[in-house]
This record gives sequence, C-alpha cells and structure tokens, in this order.
Amino acid sequence: MSTAVVEPEVGGLPGEPRANSGGAARKNRDRLTWGLCGLAFLLIVSPAISILISVFHQAAPDFSLSMFTKTTADTSGLSNAILGTLLLLLGVLIVAGTIGVAAGIWLAEFAPPRLGGVLRFLSEVLSGSPSIVIGYVGYVALVTSFHWGYGLLPAVLALSTLVLPYVVKTTEVAMRQVPSALREASEALGLFRATAVARIILPPAIPGIVSGLIIALAISTGETAPLLFTANFSNNNPTFHLFHHSLGYLTAVTFNDISQPNTPGHNYAAQGAAAAAVTLVILIVLIALGRVVSARSRRATARMSL
Amino acid sequence: MGLAVAAFIPGVALACLAAEMIWQAYPSIRDNGTSFFTGHVFAISSGYSGTASFGILPLLWGTLISSLIALAIALPVAVGGAILLVERIPKRLQGPLSVFLELLAGIPSVVFGLWGVFTFGPLLSRDIYKPISKLGLPWLSSGVTPNGSGMLTASLVLCVMIIPIIASTTRELLRSVPQTSKEGAVALGLNGSEAVRVVTLPFVRTGVIAAAFLGWGRALGETIAVLLISNNNANGYPHSIFAGFTTMAATIAQDLDTALTVPAALHALAEVGLVLLAVTLITNFIGRLIAQRFGGGAGLPVGRGV
Amino acid sequence: MIPFAVAAAVALGACGSSSSSSSTTGATTATTAGSGGSSATTTGGGGNSGASAQVGNPSSDVTLNESGSSLLYPFLQTLVAPIKSAYSNVTLVPAAGGSGKGIADATAGTSQMGGSDAYLTPAELSAGTLLNVPIAVSAQDVFVNLPGVTGLKLDGSVLSQIYQGKITKWNDSAIAALNSGVSLPSTAIYPLHRSDSSGDTFLFTSFLSKTDTSGWGSSSGPEFGTTVKWPSVSNALTASGNPGMVQTCKATPGCVAYIGISAQNTAEAAGLQLASLQDQAGDYVTATPTTINNAVANSTSNVPANLAASLIYASGSMSYPIVNFEYIVVKKTQPDANTALAIRDFLTFAISTSGASTSALLAPQHFEALPTSVVPKVNTAIASIAG
Repeated sequence: MSTAVVEPEVGGLPGEPRANSGGAARKNRDRLTWGLCGLAFLLIVSPAISILISVFHQAAPDFSLSMFTKTTADTSGLSNAILGTLLLLLGVLIVAGTIGVAAGIWLAEFAPPRLGGVLRFLSEVLSGSPSIVIGYVGYVALVTSFHWGYGLLPAVLALSTLVLPYVVKTTEVAMRQVPSALREASEALGLFRATAVARIILPPAIPGIVSGLIIALAISTGETAPLLFTANFSNNNPTFHLFHHSLGYLTAVTFNDISQPNTPGHNYAAQGAAAAAVTLVILIVLIALGRVVSARSRRATARMSL
Repeated sequence: MGLAVAAFIPGVALACLAAEMIWQAYPSIRDNGTSFFTGHVFAISSGYSGTASFGILPLLWGTLISSLIALAIALPVAVGGAILLVERIPKRLQGPLSVFLELLAGIPSVVFGLWGVFTFGPLLSRDIYKPISKLGLPWLSSGVTPNGSGMLTASLVLCVMIIPIIASTTRELLRSVPQTSKEGAVALGLNGSEAVRVVTLPFVRTGVIAAAFLGWGRALGETIAVLLISNNNANGYPHSIFAGFTTMAATIAQDLDTALTVPAALHALAEVGLVLLAVTLITNFIGRLIAQRFGGGAGLPVGRGV
Repeated sequence: MIPFAVAAAVALGACGSSSSSSSTTGATTATTAGSGGSSATTTGGGGNSGASAQVGNPSSDVTLNESGSSLLYPFLQTLVAPIKSAYSNVTLVPAAGGSGKGIADATAGTSQMGGSDAYLTPAELSAGTLLNVPIAVSAQDVFVNLPGVTGLKLDGSVLSQIYQGKITKWNDSAIAALNSGVSLPSTAIYPLHRSDSSGDTFLFTSFLSKTDTSGWGSSSGPEFGTTVKWPSVSNALTASGNPGMVQTCKATPGCVAYIGISAQNTAEAAGLQLASLQDQAGDYVTATPTTINNAVANSTSNVPANLAASLIYASGSMSYPIVNFEYIVVKKTQPDANTALAIRDFLTFAISTSGASTSALLAPQHFEALPTSVVPKVNTAIASIAG
C-alpha cells in the first residue's frame, strides 16, 4: 500500500503566487475577488482624477495673474474671494485654534476622568451636527437676533463651531501619545504640573496639534452652507470689520457662478471653476503640509521611544 | 484655569445649538403637531396667498433613500478598494496612492456639485439614463433631465463623497491586523482572498461598520452638493429614480431666505433642522458606540462629520 | 454662542448696529447738495407732486447695501456711478439673491434696501414697519427653446396646463389651436421655474392665477407668491436667478421659462425664442414700450397709498399682460438720520427724470418710467422715511 505524499502548501504572505493554492474553483474565486477589488479601487480613483481634470480644464480660460489683482466683478478676478477665504481661515485659527488646543490639553492632562469623559462625548456629538443647522442658527441668532448682520465675526464663529471638535480631539490624541515616562520623570523632578505640561509634555505633541489645525483649515476652506447665511457675499475686497460687512470667499463664487450663463465679457463658468481650482490648490497645499508635519512627528516619536 | 473653560466650550456650543433649534422649532411643534410627521407635502407659503403645508415625509424619504443608496454602493467599493490597497499594492506605492483618498475627503461639497452638474450628471444622463428610460421599466422611465440632475445622480455623488471616510478607516484597520493571524492563514493553505475573507475581515468588521455609520451621517447632513444636483422641482415624492427630489438639509438651505419674513415657515424649517440634527446625531452616536464597545484594533481616525 | 462672545456681543452689537456713519445727526435740509453736482429735484413730473422729501448730501459716508430681485439688479448696477456723482457721500452696493431675500434682508436690517418685483404681503403691509417704493416699471417675458419655431403664441390657460403637467408635448392640440399654420415639433415640454424665492415667480403665478381663475388661481391651486406649491410635473426643471433661467433653458431643448425683461438681451443672445402672450382683449403681444405703457395706463388709476398694486393682465387692447412695478423695500424708521437721508436721496434720484428715470438708463433694461399719476404718492412715501 503506498501512501500518497501530500505536497505541503508553503509560500509567502497572502497574495503571493504559490505552487498549489487549491483547485480551479478556488483559484477562479481568488482571481474574481481580486478583480472586483481592483475595480473598486478604480472606482475610487477615477472620480478624484475626473474632478481634478474637469475643474482645472474648465478653469483654464480664467487662470491668470489678474486672479490676484482684480475682484470677482471682473471676469478673471478672484482677489476678494481669495482674501476673504484667507481671512476666514485666520479667524478660525484664532478662535477654534486657541479654544480647541486649550481644551485638548486640559482634557488630556488635567481633566478628572468622568468630567473629561462627558466633555469629550459632547465634543464628539458636536462634530456630527450638519453644517446647514449651524448656518441656520448662525443666521437666526447671530445675524438677525443679535443684529450683527452679515459679517466676519458671525462667519468665523459658525466655522469655528464646525471645526472645534476636530481640533480638540487631535490635540488630545497628540498629548496622550507623548510617552508617560516623560510625565513620570517630570513629577519625580518635582516640577509643578503646569510647568511640566508646558515645558516638557507639550513640545513633542506640537506636530500632532499642528496636523489637527491643518485639518480644521482644510474643512473651513471647503465649507459653503454656514457661510452663505453668515457672510453672504461681496464683490469688494474684505476689510477687518467684524459686523455688517459681507465678505466674499471662494466657495461662494463657485456656488453662485454654476447657474450663470456666460455673457460676452464675463465667463462665469470659468470664473466659478477657477475659484474651485484655487480651493483645490489650497487643499493640496494643506494636505502636503500635513504629510510633512506627520513625517517629522513620526521621526521625532521614534527618536523619543524609551 | 483658562484651559478648563476652553474644554467646556464645545459642550456649551452644542447646548446653545440645540437650545436655539428647540426654541425656534417650538411654535411649529405646537401648531403643526403630528401632521408634521404624517403630511406628504412640504411647501412654505410666501405670505401672499394659499396655505402652507408642513409635512416632513417627502424630505425624510428623500434624505433616507439617497443616503442609503449612497451607503449601499460606497461600502463595498470602499472596503474592496482598501483591501486592494493594503493587501496587494506594494508598500512604497501605498503612500502616494492614498493621496487620492485624502483628496476625495477634502474636496469641498460645492466642487462635487460643480462636477456633478457639468461632468458626471450629463455623462450619466446621456449614456445611461436615456437608454434605460426607453425600456419602460417601472421607476426607471421618466424624469431624465439633460444635465442628469435628480435622485440617482445625487445619490451617486453622495456615494463618492462618503467613500473616503470608509476607505481610509478600513485601510488603517487593515494595517493593524496582526501579522501572525495572516501567517496562520497561509500555513493552513488559504489563498490570498480566502485569507482576507476568513481572517482579516472579521477582525475589521466592527470598525468598518462604525465607519459606515459615520459616512452615513455625513450623507444625511450634506447640503450643497445635493442642492445643486437634486432638481427639486415639486413638492412631493419622485416617481422615478431619475426624477427630482429634496432632502431635509437642501430644503432648509433653499427656503431659509423666504422664511425669515414668514414666521410659520421659519419655525417649520427649525423643526426640520431639529429632526435632521436628531437623525445625524443618533447615527453618529451609534457609530461611535459600536467602535467603542466592539472595536478592538485601531481607533477611528478623525474624519469629516459633514 | 460662546459665553464671552455673548457678553462681547452686547457691547459690540451696539457699535455694530450703525454700519458706517458717525453718531452726529447733521443732516442737511437744503435741497441742493453741497458738493458733487445738483441734487435731485423733488418733483417727478407735472401736477401735484405730493409731499417733498428732504434730500441732500449726508454729512458722512453712507453705504447703502441693496439685495434682492435679480430683475432689478442689472438696473441698479448702472446707478452706482450716477448716484455717487450726485451725492458724493452715498455709495450704492447692489446684489442679487431673489426678491424674497431682498425683503428678508431689509426686514432683518442686513441690507438697507431690498429690491423686489413683488409688493409686500398683506401681513407686512399691516405691520407697517416696511415701505415698498416703486422706482420703475418692468415686465416679464416667456421664452422657449424651440429652434425653428418663431412667433410662438401662448396664453395663460395653456401655460397653466403646461406647468401642471397636463400638456406635455409641444405639438399638443391646445398649443396648435393658438398657432395655426406653424408646424410644432413633437418635443417634450420642460417647464422651468425658479427655485429661489423670486419676484419673477410672483409675477408669473399672478398671471396664471388671473387667467386660469378656476384652476391655478382657485384656492385648491398653487395660486401666487414668491414661492408656490408647484404641481408635481416629472419634466419640470428649476433654476436660480434670471441668469440661471437663461442658462438652464439654453441647455434644454423644449424648455419654456419665464424670464425678467432685463435679461431679455441675454436670453436672445443665448438663442431662445420669445413667445407672445394673449392679453385680456385677445391680442397677442410681446413686451414693447408701447404695450407696457398701455398696460400701465390701464391699471394704475387706483394705486393705493401703500403703493402695493398689481399691474398683471391689464385691460385694454395691446396691453402686455405681465407688467409690474419694481419696488425698493425699506424700513420706515432708519437707525440714524444720515442713512435715512441717503435712502431718500437715492429714491428721489431713482424716480427723477433728471436722475435715473431717463431713457439712457431705463432702455437698456427695457424698463419704463413710472406713470406720472403715481409719482406724487411715491414722493409722499419717500418723505415719510425718517431716522
């Protein structure tokens, strides 16, 4: 009686071709599955490419240096929109940045556990609110009831409410990732808690905090709904007035110009697409910045592992 | 301490948001009662003639159907694409290819609307909707517009918008699957796709479901892209998947201007906003609950909630 | 919404409520401006001129933000320079957004003036805080996208049926009955309506209500307003603003759209065809200065003191059926005297034949001047604006 020798199925990691990976049916199922996954991946990548191509193609006629010198009243101008968006980003950095970072630090280092848990939960609940609800409240409360009118402050407050939870969460996560050995060592050295946090624990967390701020800026660049009802729109270059002065911003140009026909002398479609293109450029810059920051932080954390 | 005050601010902002919505919605809750939730027409009156009807059912219907279609397509595509990215694509290409995910996640909703109106919608309308509508099938034979605006296109655009949330979460979870589990699968003779199915997917399942809820929450609250591509042409239910429809968020954005001079409409919109807020918050809450209770592996990376 | 901001708001809100003027109230009561050209006279035409409004250059810079009607917007854009040279301290900043938004902004105080093709609602008129002041006469066209079909004739009841979805193809017998001898294609009809809160919707639905009294205009029908319950029509499309209507109609063969007359040139340049409408006397007319002025003459004999008057479907032959006053909506009581003065300056300038009510400024928009019978009442209204 001879016993057949069964070939052991050895090989590398899943996915690597091997000598004997089962019968034809299993092989076909394998190929089908990977084929479907490949199709899925293509379905993810193609809209992104299509959006990039179509936006920049549509924007091409309007892409010129006068984008920075002329206002949206002119067909190839976007200066008021670009300045308005940048001004809003600055405002969000000031308001949501300071409050969010402060809140994140407190939640990570000083919060009593149960209170901290409740506040953390409330912050995450806030992150789920739809932007139109924030726009509604901003309009009804700030613009109308408080008589602030359309202006920089209602717009910045609406945007900050939207992005605050993200800043809080990323700051807290960044603080928690600092090795506890540093905390223990600073306590052993007799430092006050506050000094320890400020001098020892905070610095390594800064790259993570900066990434959170970049996320907040990226979200703010692309928001439209809350701003439509708090900043309205203006063709003039923005001023630093907080109230009663509408300001222009890039996403509104795209939104308004989608439904305008091109008149001789004013190519609305190209102008709206140009505003969209500038928004995408700002986004790409922020993504690149975020990657640089996280690469540096990974190197720093690796150096820091004790 | 100042930091502690900052930590309370998200909670206070949430409380103010909810309070203002409830305050504004109360007259509508009191006056419209249950007919708000059983009525089939939502039409505000501009105050000149006619009576308004405030029935939220068409809005709820439109919101749920479009977000569910979006989720049903986004989930397999996002998971499939992420599996391909992590399991098959060489490590050094994974970083650059992940850029598409970050890009899709950050593209503003108004740019998605622009793409839907000028590129995606007309393509679908010309090449897919028109041929299908000639077949005379129920729900698929009317409502095709030249620029493709309507319920199906809006759902597909929503799908593209929520894919990044699910895909990037899945990617992180897949990366955290222990190597030993995968090696065990290989040792047992499973081929690539079988190893994924038997070992990896169960490991990441709860995290993926949690991410799906978050993505669904974003689709529920999306305003601008839906407003641009939904063709809200009537106060009622669409009779075809290609026809115009509306969602709760889009209705608020569209009617808010008129509503300020018609108090009954303003309060009704607040009630719509309250329902929307409740639905999105519950969806987000369930998602995070699932992640906390059952999710082992990596935590959820910060993703956009709206 | 943020605790310290609430406290700050109370303090800053006080500063924020007056947009740009100082706290001095030095409004000149002279009727000639101190600098920059002559002020508008307070008589708009012959006869009894009504109460005369105090006008003059404000003592400090006043910015008049206007928002609203996209029908009125192109006209206001052409007034920015002339008003500045007449009154050097008055800066007009117009915007569009739809008549409903204009009225809302004027009510909330986010704009000093709201532009609207529709007069105020009965509730707003009885509340008495707002004024609607007509500054010009305008009209509305109906355009179609039917290449090869010229001189299409439509009437209110056919349009009503189209917008209810009861007539779905262009070669329907009801349309053919009005257009004997014209070969109509079998294209599907795409009725286009405004998605924003629109004075043009108000005008069009008023027209449909008056011509189809038992259907559209009955209490079970959509009736009229800046927004209405549009009947569910599967081929219906929406657009935002008059330019949006032109854009969408141009992209949709077979579409029919109501478009304000100030966008008539844009619509024709886009290749759309103007339809003629049937008036009460049975003639088919398009909007020309003659037909518009006939309609005005036949419907403004009894304009009330609150100036809320409908000029739709006027009687008489060769009267264009969709004609309206263009209104500026303002608060009767302004936050300060300088703003009130600037508004009186602008409104008086707008209706004055030596100011904006000239053919040079009105004709490019196809607007007409206010009828002289109405001017005294308008002057009285302007004079009542105070700060």
